[in-house]
Amino acid sequence: MSVNVSTLQARISGESTASSPLSTEEYFVNMGPQHPSTHGVLRLVLRLDGETVRDVVPVLGYIHRGIEKMGEHGNYRQFVHLVDRMDYLAALSNNWAVTMVVEKAAKMETTDRIQAIRTLVCELQRIQSHQLWWGVFGMDLGGFTPFFYGLRDREQLCDIFEKTIGARLTMNYIQPGGVMYDIHPDFVKDVKTFLAYFKSKLPEYDTLMSENVIIQERLRGIGKLSAERALALGATGPVLRASGVAHDLRKSEPYGLYSQVDFDVPVGTTGDCWDRYWVRMEEMRQSIRIVEQLIDNIPEGKTFMVKPAAKIKVPAGVHYSHMETPRGVLGVVLVSDGKESPYRIHCRTPNFNNLWCIGEMATGGRIGDLVAMLSSIDLVIPDIDR
Amino acid sequence: MGVITDKLPGVLEPVPGGQVLLTAVDQLINWSRSNSLWPLTFGTSCCAIEMMMATGAARHDMARFGAEVARPSPRQADLLVIAGTIVKRMAPRLRTLYEQMAEPRYVMATGSCAICGGPFMYDSYTTIRGADEVIPVDVYVPGCPPRPEAFFYGLLTLQKMIREGESIRHPGERRRPVLAALPEGMTLDDIRKEMQDLLSHDANVKMVDELAEGAHFSAELKDF
Repeated sequence: MSVNVSTLQARISGESTASSPLSTEEYFVNMGPQHPSTHGVLRLVLRLDGETVRDVVPVLGYIHRGIEKMGEHGNYRQFVHLVDRMDYLAALSNNWAVTMVVEKAAKMETTDRIQAIRTLVCELQRIQSHQLWWGVFGMDLGGFTPFFYGLRDREQLCDIFEKTIGARLTMNYIQPGGVMYDIHPDFVKDVKTFLAYFKSKLPEYDTLMSENVIIQERLRGIGKLSAERALALGATGPVLRASGVAHDLRKSEPYGLYSQVDFDVPVGTTGDCWDRYWVRMEEMRQSIRIVEQLIDNIPEGKTFMVKPAAKIKVPAGVHYSHMETPRGVLGVVLVSDGKESPYRIHCRTPNFNNLWCIGEMATGGRIGDLVAMLSSIDLVIPDIDR
Repeated sequence: MGVITDKLPGVLEPVPGGQVLLTAVDQLINWSRSNSLWPLTFGTSCCAIEMMMATGAARHDMARFGAEVARPSPRQADLLVIAGTIVKRMAPRLRTLYEQMAEPRYVMATGSCAICGGPFMYDSYTTIRGADEVIPVDVYVPGCPPRPEAFFYGLLTLQKMIREGESIRHPGERRRPVLAALPEGMTLDDIRKEMQDLLSHDANVKMVDELAEGAHFSAELKDF
């Protein structure tokens, strides 16, 4: 993918396009990279006419760490821990995306137990990721209570992960050939306790925010993104589904054990901020459904198919695999020359494409709504810059 | 000298042995500084999430230790917590943020990326190998990312440093930077106990036994 830099320059420094006789002189506001609502070090250049946003141009690179280039220096199992740091709120999904392309290319076999564990932990992390988003979204809208609620429940999941995986955030758990450790003996019991607990807390979330008339008035009708534009910009995940496109790789190209479980894909209608909010709230409920169906039926079997020190070689050629993370489609392109380390590895990350929807959403809107729009996309900046 | 030393001698001069009083003022100032740190919300990557869990979330709640008010503007903050990797493009901005903060300012580098580049130390063409190449760092908190408990340990170390640190006679004088790594053999339960002991000195804080309260969720780390 190439970005036409000259077009972006023109968008920042271009002549006034306003035609209304009431429009005034345009001016620029720089937002970020140190800004509480950009969730990291994203920088946006806003072209404004009074309070009306004329254009939003993201400026990237403030956390570009060269993860893809670093992947070429190590072997495949060493690359897995680097992608933890890409979308750190969905580290397990990122692990799995790399694992999937390596396993598919090297034709490695897995057991049902491995797939069940992977599906379970990824769905739990989807809940965890949305919990954090919900809390931060509330804080961006100006309320501090959602932050406490969301992070309080997130801690319970951190405990479950810590028992099995040993880490709270950067997991490095799903590896080519299996999962690093078998699940903790308490895993099933803990997850059931958590589900019972969280199902009683979700109505609280609704009472506090979803059914709150201030929140609804705040979110409805702003930041609209049509289905055509969402598809054209390459948006995926809840951003695309909120625009009315029922695209979910867990349904259309099932991996793991998703083909064996019953769940719905929540879809919005108008693609405004409220729809994006609602789709994520529904996704939490669907994830609970998936976990409930799987938690009692974890099959027996091995959890690691190769020796820990085994050298993994991938046949020469171009391999591609993709999966649905909490934020959208994460695709991994792997160009191999048959050696132990990849020749080139590229990640098509969901946040990068979702970010460019902000120009579409915000143009013509008010600057006061911009933070709500930005937060409703649920961006993770190191995933954009890699 | 600062405002206090300019104004106080009027009070202190008639007192024989004003030296003692001045020292007490030093202690008072350092004590209040150490207990009213305002951290800047500067998170570049993963460590920012654990920082959020440590500062904002209910379980860990940094307000107990007097570092409650996280500020997004450097002009209102006096503790810069570098949470995450610093790359070449971000380094000048980090320096600007540091320069904009009011004196006295303190810097905590949390996570291996901010200490030495961490997992991005080798083979990365953009990463700054440690934030101390850009700005002076007071406390290093290792971990990838550090747990909230480790974050607290770093904060308590910084508070201790501030209390023993500069005096109004010699402003700007600091202790050497320290590595707030957990001592050998120390478990998380020990830190929790230390934190409880610290808080139990304060009569206003009612201690709830966390293990008894949420028994089914508390991580029993001794299993490992």
